[in-house]
Amino acid sequence: MQLKRENLIPALRLLAAQGEILVPTAVDEKVSKFAPWDGSSAPDLALVNTTLPPKDTLFPHQEGMYRYKTAGEPSLEEIVEAPARILFGVRPCDARSIDCMDKVFLGDKYEDAFYARRRANVTVIAHTCAQTGPTCFCDSMGLSPAEAPSADLLLSDTETGWLVTAQTEKGEAVAALWKDLTAEGGEAAPAPACTLKTNMSDALAGTLVSRFEDPIWDEVCHACLGCGTCTYLCPTCYCFDINHEDHGGEGTQFRCWDSCMFSDYTRMAGGHNPRPSKKERLRNRYLHKLAYFKERYGQILCVGCGRCVGHCPSHLDITAFIDKAAERFGEGK
Amino acid sequence: MVNHDCTCKDNPLVPQLCKVIKITQETPDVQTYRVQTLDGKRPFTPMPGQLGMFSLLGVGEAMFSVTAYGEDWIETSIKKTGMLTDAFHEMAEGQQIGVRGPYGNHFPVDPCKGKDLLFIGGGIGLAPVRSFIRYAFAHRADYGKIDILYGSRSPADLVFKEDLFDNWPKEPDTAVHVTVDRGDETWEGNVGMVPGYLEELAFQPVNRKVILCGPPIMIKFTLQSLLKMGFSKEDCITTLEMRMKCGIGKCGRCNIGSKFVCLDGPVFTMAELDELPDEM
Repeated sequence: MQLKRENLIPALRLLAAQGEILVPTAVDEKVSKFAPWDGSSAPDLALVNTTLPPKDTLFPHQEGMYRYKTAGEPSLEEIVEAPARILFGVRPCDARSIDCMDKVFLGDKYEDAFYARRRANVTVIAHTCAQTGPTCFCDSMGLSPAEAPSADLLLSDTETGWLVTAQTEKGEAVAALWKDLTAEGGEAAPAPACTLKTNMSDALAGTLVSRFEDPIWDEVCHACLGCGTCTYLCPTCYCFDINHEDHGGEGTQFRCWDSCMFSDYTRMAGGHNPRPSKKERLRNRYLHKLAYFKERYGQILCVGCGRCVGHCPSHLDITAFIDKAAERFGEGK
Repeated sequence: MVNHDCTCKDNPLVPQLCKVIKITQETPDVQTYRVQTLDGKRPFTPMPGQLGMFSLLGVGEAMFSVTAYGEDWIETSIKKTGMLTDAFHEMAEGQQIGVRGPYGNHFPVDPCKGKDLLFIGGGIGLAPVRSFIRYAFAHRADYGKIDILYGSRSPADLVFKEDLFDNWPKEPDTAVHVTVDRGDETWEGNVGMVPGYLEELAFQPVNRKVILCGPPIMIKFTLQSLLKMGFSKEDCITTLEMRMKCGIGKCGRCNIGSKFVCLDGPVFTMAELDELPDEM
């Protein structure tokens, strides 16, 4: 079924009754993110990619876990927050990133209750890429700019609007909601090619792990400032810290995004640090993205969104690293 | 291997409030806390070597080995090493703390059945080992001869003195060997580092499992001695520590390669550690 361009606003209005809609929004000249739809204007569906990924919808930058009281009779009260939300216009790379976070937070022996509750109330409406951005490389990471299989609903660009494909029960509910606004017809535009190409392969992932002591890690880490921008902007980076705000006798325990690029991240009481320098930290980040996560969860933790490549103040580029490693270790495709 | 029986069934990241019912000053910088739920129950039932997340509300939360448990309590031993542990040492009996767990895998109590056991601890490293020692005594018929080799810097730094000198030597078919790096005027026991004493005691590597924990430098040299004595890395079992926040394999920081120490560990054989990146 096809949703014509002129029916976008009516379609969003119908959706708005189901929950808060978050759409790609330019915050200022430099920064864009998923922000609440204003209820009337057409969202900017040409943005490839938003500066900030949509991960904070499911995994807030800072999230209260429980309130506590230590004065008098101590007490604990869990914070439960799971607003109904619709992420609208999520690119295939970011849709896959949500799939990666699901693997971590919804499974692997324990379910993370905070994430699970939010996740249950979020609907993901993905949007194919008619064109790709200057640092996009999802098709080198096993994705396609024209597919988002883990999204609830996929909107594929046509000449006059979008093909609507429901992919889950939540997606079918949205398609049903839109049935009077959609009609037969329309043909999806072919997938564009990504701007960046890189030579990633399973064989290279294995080789990188076995080359743990290779000089390549010394070479690549030189430029790193340890600023954490890559992890902050990465749609799949999910590490968190747990801390508290204490107001004398009562407070809130919260978790917040953390970064494996910070030295404090692994430093133990007493001072020992298993990843004491940026070499160990960058190596861990790259290996986590390219190899460790796949060993554990069966898929690669880089979705090729290109944010880290585009925003690193030192111009560190994971695709350049992959190519360098593939060439050096003879693991090119 | 992972025990899913977390105390906080609906949300593993929210602790339950418990109270400290007994504090034992083990050494000048190590205390043992006996902990019970507010209604007088055991907070959880850990397997030997499993971990608990202990918190002081408004101060912090950290993972410690559960060194023992009884009918209606669990115990953890904490060395003063930083802000949070300093605050633990300021506690008085009756204080309420947060507890969640148990987390991680445990010592391989079943594969060790029918074997002689050699427990080796260094410093506060005896705390996790103690949980298996107690388990072995509670299931005495399942195990062969038990040797416990423990070393600390000085006589004043010996933890669990009552167990070392009174309780454990009375157990059947059990020998306790204590050594200190430096003696004092009253110390009559062995003086010397653990690896040297271990070689002197000349344990045979036949049908025997070794469970060891201590400072990294001690582990390194003790393992060298064990290998020299003919023990295989498969038969040497240790437990690791790493900075942790969640304890359930989500927050990311305790990984070694693709393994999480909080979830896949903390217990590993030396052979398993050889398969992981050298990043400890």
